[in-house]
Amino acid sequence: MKSFDKIIIVTLIVLASVSLFALKIYRNKDFSKKYVQIKVQGEIYKTFDLNKSTNMDDIIVTTKLGTNVIKVKDGKVGIIDADCPDQICVKSGWIDRPGENLVCLPHKVVIEIKGQSKDNGIDIISH
Amino acid sequence: MKTKKLVFISILVAQALVLFIVESMIPVPFIAPGAKLGLSNIITVVSLYTFGLGDTLLIILLRIFLSTLFTGSVVTLLYSILGGIFSVFAMFLIKKIGKDKVSLLGVSIIGAIFHNIGQITAASIVISNINIFLYLPVLFFVSIGTGLFVGAVSKYLLIHFKKINLFNNM
Repeated sequence: MKSFDKIIIVTLIVLASVSLFALKIYRNKDFSKKYVQIKVQGEIYKTFDLNKSTNMDDIIVTTKLGTNVIKVKDGKVGIIDADCPDQICVKSGWIDRPGENLVCLPHKVVIEIKGQSKDNGIDIISH
Repeated sequence: MKTKKLVFISILVAQALVLFIVESMIPVPFIAPGAKLGLSNIITVVSLYTFGLGDTLLIILLRIFLSTLFTGSVVTLLYSILGGIFSVFAMFLIKKIGKDKVSLLGVSIIGAIFHNIGQITAASIVISNINIFLYLPVLFFVSIGTGLFVGAVSKYLLIHFKKINLFNNM
């Protein structure tokens, strides 16, 4: 291992740690309202509020690219079934905090949780 | 192009393809979307140290084109091409800037990172959503691990490559 290698590794660890830390702080902020936005092929498919007791019927998104089954249970959102080859969206698990997202690349399905902060009513997550 | 060189490039492409297929058979724990070992990158690193930028680009484009034919999914072509080109140029630059201060390990870590950046860029274009860049910090950690592994393997491979007289005059 040479000097430049060490610089590269240290820089990357610092960069990644700082951004992870910033993300964590952001996600633990108090949001008065959370909502879920499901986008399919870049267009908004469905938007709904999310709180601790949100339970919904499974949302089935079917396009010519394929099918994703989205479940909302106890205020958490997850993709429980998909017919894409990589199954990355299913393996990603459950999300419940603003800024988190689930992506199914082959089907171009994106599920994002957005938050509204208490002080101004403006959506603080940039698009 | 000399015949010898032509043959060697073909062998490298074939090896990269085999590694690509072998990798798809290895089950990897799910850490973050897109995280994988990147075994084909061994060939990219070796080629970058044996030939130059141009031939490496040729090898990587051939590999991507052929692996797309094998897997049969054209959708992944854009991700692979952007990831591949990003990583080759990044590795070439860091090798040039670092000169003898940077070893294979650092070069291949940079390659792994920029492969991820390229793929996420492609993905964010496809789904028109910039927020998936938030996966990058986690992928950085993964890349350090996989980059070190790929770098170490390439180092041993190069030692043996250098023994073969054939390559001295290329």
